[in-house]
Amino acid sequence: MAVRKNQASLTATEKRNFVNAVLELKRTGVYDGFVKTHNEFIMSDSDNGDRVGHRSPSFLPWHRRFLIQFETELQKVDKSVTLPYWDWTVDRTTNSGIWGADFLGGNGRSRDSQVMDGPFAYSTGKWNINVNVDNRPYLQRELGAAGALPTRAQVDAVLAMTTYDMAPWNSGSDGFRNNLEGWRGQGRIHNNVHVWIGGQMATGVSPNDPAFWLHHANIDRLWAEWQKMHPSSGYLPTGGTPNVVDLNDTMRPWNNVTPADMLDHTKFYTYDR
Amino acid sequence: MTAVTRRNVLRAAFTAAVVTGTGAALAPIVLADSTDGTATDAAGSEHPAGHFDEIYRGRRIQGGPVDGTQHGGAHGAHGAQPAAYRAAAASSAPSAPSGPGIQVSIDGRPLHVMRRADGSYLSLVNHYESFPTPLAVARAAVDTIGTAQLSTASLHHH
Repeated sequence: MAVRKNQASLTATEKRNFVNAVLELKRTGVYDGFVKTHNEFIMSDSDNGDRVGHRSPSFLPWHRRFLIQFETELQKVDKSVTLPYWDWTVDRTTNSGIWGADFLGGNGRSRDSQVMDGPFAYSTGKWNINVNVDNRPYLQRELGAAGALPTRAQVDAVLAMTTYDMAPWNSGSDGFRNNLEGWRGQGRIHNNVHVWIGGQMATGVSPNDPAFWLHHANIDRLWAEWQKMHPSSGYLPTGGTPNVVDLNDTMRPWNNVTPADMLDHTKFYTYDR
Repeated sequence: MTAVTRRNVLRAAFTAAVVTGTGAALAPIVLADSTDGTATDAAGSEHPAGHFDEIYRGRRIQGGPVDGTQHGGAHGAHGAQPAAYRAAAASSAPSAPSGPGIQVSIDGRPLHVMRRADGSYLSLVNHYESFPTPLAVARAAVDTIGTAQLSTASLHHH
């Protein structure tokens, strides 16, 4: 059983293996396919129309499936690799190990936000931004320039919410899902982490930054934590909801997987805590 | 609003971009969200009719409500539509709402903008935060891209 670990506890070898597997997916073009898919969904998911990947109840199972698919691709390159998660309630500064030159590299420089060190710097020749919102071909970050990393207290307040999601099942909803996604509530949890990183992470092509996977692995872990805290609270809605993926509806783009299939992550991997 | 202030420091580093093509046709992008009919009211200071056309940090930003009949590629009052717009409009047609949307461009290139159920707006380049008006979302996009040109390629992947 694959174990997803806190990025702060990875060994030097584990970091290197993860980075090398990511770079190999980039080289073969597999990586950019994930960026493109995410962008397509973020552009088409809308509050009053069809919504699958974002601003809807299926935000969590959609990203769980998306991460499993990416992790599977990493494991085709190196079967020892699993997705690490980044607990931004703990590792909250620009000096945290996640931003080290031996892992994701650091902040962008002030002139153009270009990341200058680490394995994903443009100068390596191995990390060109091909699926982009503008014509800049390099990875950008503006760590901490906008937004704020959520605090543990803010996360705990969201985890305490007993209802998974509520009508109108979009960015206006109350309940656990939308407060975790961050369209409302204290901390604006998931959204604010994207904004805090800046650069491509603040855009629709956010998977261009490998931090995307570590951020979403943490969001996925928080979903699992919430399930443990509220064993009698299930995924909602459970049927007949227009434009929304109900419990047993299939999700695009796979069309063969439902939220119900994604509820138990231990079928696929576990977390170290 | 410390975030705005801090980003402004970065923005100050951008040199003024050359303004190109003042005669360029407005390149609209249809709002993917449907609306509740209050689109123009939400435009606030961009009145009349919610339209704006200004130079912001050296970039020409234009925008405003777009008639629902433009969904699917029908032409409105803005003349010939760039290919990127036609592609986006055509590909979004199956789920396009019948109500009015919003169109925003930077130096003639379409910026994908969505309207949230609460009436706020977000764009493809600031997709995890929202802004009160189309003008605010256009300015924020310029703040984000600096002197870079918007890509039209991503619009073809619907």
